[in-house]
Amino acid sequence: MSAVVAQRVSKVFGRRKALDRVSFELPEGAFLSIFGPNGAGKSTLLRVLSTLARPTEGTVRVAGIDAKEHPDQVRERIGLISHQSMLYADLTAFENLMFVARMHGVVDAEDRVRTMLKAVELDHRRYDAVRTFSRGMTQRLSIARALLHDPSVVFLDEPYAGLDPHAVDIFDDLIDRMRAGRTFVMVSHDLQKGFDAATHVLVLAKGRTVLFQEKESVDFQEFSQLYRETVGMGVA
Amino acid sequence: MADELSTGVERPVRVKRPSTWAHYRALVKKDLLHEMHTKDMLTSMGLYALLVLVVYGAALAQAGSQLDVQQMAGGLLWAAVLFTSLLGLNRSFGHETADGCLDGLMLVPMDRSVLFLAKATANLAFLAIVEVVVVPLFFFFFLGTVGVAPSWPLLLAVLAVGTIGIAGVGTMLSTITVNTRGRDVMLAVLFIPLSFPLLWSCVSAATAVLVGTEGFMDTFTMSMALAGGYDVVMILVSWVLYDFVVSA
Repeated sequence: MSAVVAQRVSKVFGRRKALDRVSFELPEGAFLSIFGPNGAGKSTLLRVLSTLARPTEGTVRVAGIDAKEHPDQVRERIGLISHQSMLYADLTAFENLMFVARMHGVVDAEDRVRTMLKAVELDHRRYDAVRTFSRGMTQRLSIARALLHDPSVVFLDEPYAGLDPHAVDIFDDLIDRMRAGRTFVMVSHDLQKGFDAATHVLVLAKGRTVLFQEKESVDFQEFSQLYRETVGMGVA
Repeated sequence: MADELSTGVERPVRVKRPSTWAHYRALVKKDLLHEMHTKDMLTSMGLYALLVLVVYGAALAQAGSQLDVQQMAGGLLWAAVLFTSLLGLNRSFGHETADGCLDGLMLVPMDRSVLFLAKATANLAFLAIVEVVVVPLFFFFFLGTVGVAPSWPLLLAVLAVGTIGIAGVGTMLSTITVNTRGRDVMLAVLFIPLSFPLLWSCVSAATAVLVGTEGFMDTFTMSMALAGGYDVVMILVSWVLYDFVVSA
């Protein structure tokens, strides 16, 4: 079964077509990196895939479930890590995760929260307000938040934004550790990093698919050349 | 042991879809916790209400003994409650939009109308706490010397019905205006006309029980029926429309 399927997905805001008949199919365990210039529709696509926005046309299926027909069933199976932490700055790390665990109905919530805090190495700061955390620590906590209910599909929306190089290394390590058994869809501006992590690549420009391919069939030099020629030079 | 970040094969995470009641409790608890940490709404609403009383004091002092404060008390009290609640309602959704928290809530598999009920409950609780402090002070400063009718305890019922309506309608409107430019003004522009029937009924009922003239019970009953009906209709409409509003 495919983990994520998009079939001719369009999204229109007023007169502007943010997505124009985008289609792809992603197998379970795959890692899709989505590239494109600003305004290409990357984040809109991620919002549509993660049920935060409804497509104007087309179908999205996550874990075999139609996102339009059964959005709550899709939400049970997905996690989202964004450049925004989705954490309450004035609550402690523990309170934030307990709230999310209760909302998702995690059984033995306290135990699971402590386990996740240890996994992202923030157990020693569990009773501190999130606003006292560095950007890297906040991003680690947002990973714990997204994985609390053990989702099978994880969406990453420019997760490296605002991270220093050390925090990026820690984040990469965490992503590597959580890859087993999960499917990932990541929006990134970092061509090299996104390409290295991916099993599949998708390039968007002006809301349209420029390229969707398995990474194995693409050489990075050729890919970056194609990206510059089509997207960077404004051809697409 | 498997890495806790990988999918739990050896220790699968057990998830059971929570009931609507469980979602409601978690959301209310989160808002109360947030307020306990920040004291943002209670401090701003409490201070503002006290300042309104000071302004009332200065304004009424100039009027001297010819002014019948008892006749005006209901209106003054509700003006203070309404403007104080506007301040709180403007802040009630602020922490949800910061850092994408609202997106986090939208990713939870739940009936989104529960979010409305939980927010309205939290707003009601904060308004009630402020009223517990401000209403006795209002009585002490403005009605202490002139006295009130023996029917004044009925004012508690007026405050309860009025505050429930303000919290319900205000929660809905604060959700609508949270992402608009100049949301403070926008909330007031929408809230005051929409809550006018409630305000009118509550002022009428409050004046009736504070003055206590002959036949006050008829006025009180009629006004409370109007206010109660307004609460039921507006809260039901908000409940039904909330999914659409919060998803927009």
